[in-house]
Amino acid sequence: MNGFFKNRDLLAGIMFIVIGVVFAVGAYNYQMGTAARMGPGFFPRILGFTMAGLGVIIAGIGLKNQAAAAASEGIGWTWKPVIIVTAAVILFGFTLPTLGMIVAITILTILSGIAAHDKNYRELVFITVIMCIFCAGVFIWGLKLQMKLFPWSG
Amino acid sequence: MDLLSNLSLGFGVALTVTNILYALIGCLLGTLIGVLPGIGPVATIAMLLPTTYALPPVSALIMLAGIYYGAQYGGSTTAILVNLPGESSSVVTALDGYQMARKGRAGAALGMAAIGSFIAGSFSTLLVAAFAPPLSEAALKFGPADYFSLMVLGLFAAIAMASGSVIKAIAMVVLGIVLGLVGTDVNSGVARYSFDVPELTDGIGFVGVAMGIFGIGEILTNLEKGEDREVFTSKVGSLLPTRQDFKDCWGAITRGTLLGSLLGILPGGGAVLASFSAYTLEKKIAGPRANPPFGQGNIRGVAAPESANNAGAQTSFIPLLTLGIPPNAVMALMVGAMTIHNIQPGPQVITANPQLFWGLIASMWVGNAMLVILNLPLIGMWVQLLKIPYRLLYPMILVFCCIGVYTVNNTTFDVWVIAAFGVIGYIFAKLQCEAAPLLLGFILGPMMEENLRRAMLLSRGDPMVFLERPISASMLVLSGLLLLVLALPAIRKKREETFVED
Repeated sequence: MNGFFKNRDLLAGIMFIVIGVVFAVGAYNYQMGTAARMGPGFFPRILGFTMAGLGVIIAGIGLKNQAAAAASEGIGWTWKPVIIVTAAVILFGFTLPTLGMIVAITILTILSGIAAHDKNYRELVFITVIMCIFCAGVFIWGLKLQMKLFPWSG
Repeated sequence: MDLLSNLSLGFGVALTVTNILYALIGCLLGTLIGVLPGIGPVATIAMLLPTTYALPPVSALIMLAGIYYGAQYGGSTTAILVNLPGESSSVVTALDGYQMARKGRAGAALGMAAIGSFIAGSFSTLLVAAFAPPLSEAALKFGPADYFSLMVLGLFAAIAMASGSVIKAIAMVVLGIVLGLVGTDVNSGVARYSFDVPELTDGIGFVGVAMGIFGIGEILTNLEKGEDREVFTSKVGSLLPTRQDFKDCWGAITRGTLLGSLLGILPGGGAVLASFSAYTLEKKIAGPRANPPFGQGNIRGVAAPESANNAGAQTSFIPLLTLGIPPNAVMALMVGAMTIHNIQPGPQVITANPQLFWGLIASMWVGNAMLVILNLPLIGMWVQLLKIPYRLLYPMILVFCCIGVYTVNNTTFDVWVIAAFGVIGYIFAKLQCEAAPLLLGFILGPMMEENLRRAMLLSRGDPMVFLERPISASMLVLSGLLLLVLALPAIRKKREETFVED
């Protein structure tokens, strides 16, 4: 279909249908119970189907306006910064408990920083140093949170 | 006088040196983060929540309230100085405030915003103190069915306040409720939708959801735009408004305060509705002969919405403190914060923990005073912050989000949660599905299920119980009316116009 990925309502509708069906079908693994004694499956099943129903309406609105959506500029997905920043956050999660705060912050700021249009590596190094000193001061020495600072600290 | 003795108890708690200090730190931190462009109060509170963990409950709540006021004030500052409202409640402040700033009167606009907020805050604090006790007494008569219907009403109100499509907002609420159900079911002990992931049996952390969508998701959306925001260059000017300004504004402040206090109590209302209506009302009263015209730097266009949004922010504590039901996303975060400190918000707080209750109310006033006395002179520093380019700002915000969410439970899993919800938030933004109703549904979901089950158990499975009880029935009728009104074509058009700035 022409302009499928430009149609916000259609995509949103499909998203709600899929999530709704997943939750509703998943609810069949849990007891439904009776109206007086509801089991763990009762509420999620109703909600799942409600969400899927709403999704159908939203997708329907999208289909109705398909021509306008196809002619529009599009949603403008830009996945590059999304992937870079998400990767940086996930790496931070891996490194904080294993290699310590200094390494984790350095990876997070430098890696996420390259997602900007107007990146400047010198500035990035500068704020990395600032953030390391600030966070070590506030979180480890100030608030005394249990966090590793260096790869070699215990 | 009950009110006086209660208030003096509250001030006794709020005015200890340590608690004043926490209110001060909260206001400063809240303004510091809130003034950064693109970060609203929800993200600010979520980000700063971990800083309160180590404190005793009263101090933690006082500090959080301070953060909230600070964040809101920070949002107005960016709206006036660089025409970038950090949140929807300061959208209208930007209209006239920014024009004043361009004419070199930024100082007067900022000063009047702070003074108006303080007057509104003082009045609505008294209102909260006067109305909270009788309301919480009334709330004790609420049965499970009434609670369920009240939450339905709250969710519909949140839908009404969301910008964009009504159906999408309803779907987002439902999605939020379902996400809130993930984890161990309290009644049966069954771990729902946990996919054998041990961390998921405790449910998805609300801090992670809020920070992911409102913190990280926001960054992802901003990054694709590139840097096109204006940097503030002109002078701030004198912070003290002139005598003429005061003469022009006292009416605007009074009307804004009254309107804001009223609208803040409504579930789903809060600060946004308050500031929009106050601005519209003021514009109507001033008429076409206003000088300068509204939208071209009339100081009343700053004073009215700022007073209203502060009054509304304050009175939106009433449903939270008396019923335990958060009327908006910010209050939903407050519920989460209270739960972390082992306080179950609801009508019992006032009797079980009067020191906390009255201390929090008194600290609202202290927080407001703090904003005027301490924050106004610091305006130069906040202006400096606005000069930091976004390319350096967002890595710092990321660091605070990641460390903050990690410290909630000291688990890496929560960091994955914000990463995932960051991407989800980006997709929502791209598909124009507003996320605030989702967060409210997420917090209310488990409470709704619990009350639904209890109500149905008590009625032996008869759903008519929701219509037979007068409180519950009136809530449902109100919800129905609200939905009907939203569906009317005329209102729908008007609503789309109002939210067009978003």
